Amino acid sequence: MNRLAPSLFIALTIIISSLSSLAHAAGGDHRRGLEKSQVCQSCHGRTGNESLQPSYPKLAGQHEDYLVHALKSYRDGSRQNAVMAGFAENLGDQDIADLAAWYSRQEGLQDLDVE
Amino acid sequence: MRHTWIVAVMIALTPLASSAQGDPERGKVIAYTCTGCHGIPFYKNVYPTYSVPKLGGQNQEYLVSALKAYREGTRRHATMQAQAATLSDQDILDVSAYFVSIGENKS
Repeated sequence: MNRLAPSLFIALTIIISSLSSLAHAAGGDHRRGLEKSQVCQSCHGRTGNESLQPSYPKLAGQHEDYLVHALKSYRDGSRQNAVMAGFAENLGDQDIADLAAWYSRQEGLQDLDVE
Repeated sequence: MRHTWIVAVMIALTPLASSAQGDPERGKVIAYTCTGCHGIPFYKNVYPTYSVPKLGGQNQEYLVSALKAYREGTRRHATMQAQAATLSDQDILDVSAYFVSIGENKS
């Protein structure tokens, strides 16, 4: 058992460090997101609640990973919107993560209640 | 005579105006199916994996355009296209009015 201990320790270290790097890659920085959201704000507002037109969605409080999915879909063309395609094509993965982090942390959209 | 015409046109248009807003009570009944995915906190879409979007308090016009895009197939998602295919224009107005009303109740 004692001979196994060092290799167990090494294995655990590898697992934990790879998990934390995964978590880091998935997470955006909401402060950087606010900085990068200047263009977004002109239509969606600072918090994502202030839509310029009612046909634009609110973003505030939306799930972070859904926002990432939406922006990547606009970027790769699988979701089609002429305006959003133009903005999304200029965004890197980290930009998308940061923007999603900002808008998902604002107060706004609600879950549906199941009664 | 002219006034009679104006009144008649206004009366005729009244139901149009109210139906454009949608009926949240009727929408709540239609939305029962939606809650199977959208009503469960942190429920995940898979392949690809992401959280099913929150709808409560969303803008009605956006919801209407999203549902119609799914119905027409210009926005693609197998489950949402199948669901939207069953909805009439009035159903879409009503169910989106219900989603809007959730935001109003909580804020």
